[in-house]
Amino acid sequence: MEYFVQQTINALSVGGEYALLALGLAIVFSIMNLVNFAHGELITLGGYAMLFSAAWFVSDPIYLLPICVLAATGAAILFERVAFRPVRNAPETTGLLTAFGVSIVVQNALLIFVATRPKPVPIPDWMQGTIQIAGLHLPMVQVLETSCTVVAATGLILLLTKTNLGLAMRAAAKDFTVVRLMGIKADRVILGAFAVSGFLAGLAAVFILARRGAVDPMMGFSPVLKAFVACVLGGFGSLLGAAVGGLSLGMLEVLLQATLPSEVAGFRDAIVFLLVGAVLIWRPTGLLGKRVELGDKE
Amino acid sequence: MGLVSATLLRSLAPICLLIAIAGLVMSIGEPYQIRVAYIFFINLTAVFALQIYMGGTGHASFGHAAFQGIAAYSVAILMTPLALKRLLIPDAPFGLAAVHLGAVPSILIALVLTGVIAYIVGLAISRLGGVAAEIATLAFLVIVHVIFTNWIELFRGPRAFYGIPSISNLYWGLGAAIIALLIAKLFRDSPYGVQLRAASDNLLAARAMGVPVERLRLLAWTLSGIVMGMAGILLATYLGTIAPSSFYFNQTFLIMAMLLLGGMRSVSGALCGTLVISIGSELTRSLESGPVIAGIDLPAMFGLTGFFLGAIIVLVMSFRREGLLGGEEFEDLFRQWKLKRKSAADETSADAPAKQEA
Repeated sequence: MEYFVQQTINALSVGGEYALLALGLAIVFSIMNLVNFAHGELITLGGYAMLFSAAWFVSDPIYLLPICVLAATGAAILFERVAFRPVRNAPETTGLLTAFGVSIVVQNALLIFVATRPKPVPIPDWMQGTIQIAGLHLPMVQVLETSCTVVAATGLILLLTKTNLGLAMRAAAKDFTVVRLMGIKADRVILGAFAVSGFLAGLAAVFILARRGAVDPMMGFSPVLKAFVACVLGGFGSLLGAAVGGLSLGMLEVLLQATLPSEVAGFRDAIVFLLVGAVLIWRPTGLLGKRVELGDKE
Repeated sequence: MGLVSATLLRSLAPICLLIAIAGLVMSIGEPYQIRVAYIFFINLTAVFALQIYMGGTGHASFGHAAFQGIAAYSVAILMTPLALKRLLIPDAPFGLAAVHLGAVPSILIALVLTGVIAYIVGLAISRLGGVAAEIATLAFLVIVHVIFTNWIELFRGPRAFYGIPSISNLYWGLGAAIIALLIAKLFRDSPYGVQLRAASDNLLAARAMGVPVERLRLLAWTLSGIVMGMAGILLATYLGTIAPSSFYFNQTFLIMAMLLLGGMRSVSGALCGTLVISIGSELTRSLESGPVIAGIDLPAMFGLTGFFLGAIIVLVMSFRREGLLGGEEFEDLFRQWKLKRKSAADETSADAPAKQEA
């Protein structure tokens, strides 16, 4: 029983992490058709912000957590201004390749100016421990991550349904031109989308760092690749699809982790991707993607 | 004039350029420069391969380095002498530890195998289309890398596979690059290539004209996979040592930057981009090790090449989306230049009598 609950909360926390990242990708994609390849670098930059503030002025690791989230949000806004504005109305592939370039630039800049080897980041001790709930010992990180995902998802729903900015963002996903005709500034909507995606990436970064305890320039790639796959699995551009895709991918991963014999455990990621590929052959537009005929306007 | 002879005629200039490079390096180059030129030809073959798919469909592919790896490892496993294989992969499955083939059958088998795998993967990717297809190519790269690094009995895992007979020389590289150039040009100008490019410009219109988009994407993907396999075979049979990391991200974004800089819509663009970046990365490589320039001892900067490649991709995408050549072939540019000169000449001759009247 305890094993089952532990694995469930593990699956929920991994799935939640992917869902946070996938939601950030989907919100940007739905508004400006940009596949943000540099999303992983938001995690990396959040981690490095923790590293530097710990070295310079922060003594209590608890303050590092908001710094990480703020840094990721700031980096997302910065990327938008510097790199993605020139390709705003370009075809999808152009934006994707630009973001790919940004990601390579950031990774290599960190390689040049910081270090090639992983560096340890201080994490509050209480995050590393376990917590006792109803007689069960559960890792603190996983419990926190699961609840954080729920809170963040609720917040996102409130933002999207109760505020003007959220309404504009949802409308922009359908037809940006009409939103601008209503007198809403395009820059503000896009900035909002990037800020939200950076915030969610920062949240995920906190938990990713709490697990690994160290930063290195390539650390953002693997989680974001999973988030991409989650987006494709759920149906690209759909927010609900991103959340469902992220959760199911995380659960599948934990399930395989728990059941695969040790000699094939190394192939886990390959098996996960192949299974997702099989799902996509069955439903090329993803689990929740709608089959849109060419030329249709929703 | 038939398609084949027209393509041969149009490819004459770039082929002569490649032969001149190879001849020059062979006659005056030191071993180091010959090696650099050989790597240039490998990358050129790879970039032509990538151009076939990306130029045709307009979709990015991050997965092509995997084909290079599949072909390189196939050749390595088939061609390495038995004595060495007993040491490297004694427990290889399917009785492969006891197989030793000559160069020609090994290369043929490697190309066929790469083609078959490309076809099977392409079945899924050609159906997806758009962003999902691009991410699927990335997932394919990761899957192949995971298999290379974890299937230790067959691929030696993350450790290098060494002892592959080094049978190729610069002329192999030259030959492969010329073959790849011809295949890419033939495909681009063939009815299939034209239809596929039309579909990438306007999918709806092309479908309405009856273009079988999925089938053509699959054809382009498989063809470019096989050409990519040639690049992998070149690498394995020249260096004699391969490792999974040679066929992962660094290779992916190197050939991607080369293709994008020149312009992915034309074969000539692929050639130009590869030339410029090959020269540029030789220069930055010497900067990376921290040389002494004009009395200043520069620090070693690992990652500089990658930094420049990323910056090139961002700048090209922001300011000159179609690349240096703007998606035109050499012969198109030449024709436009001639037309411009002719019209300029016509204008001056038309102006002359008008002035006399006044």
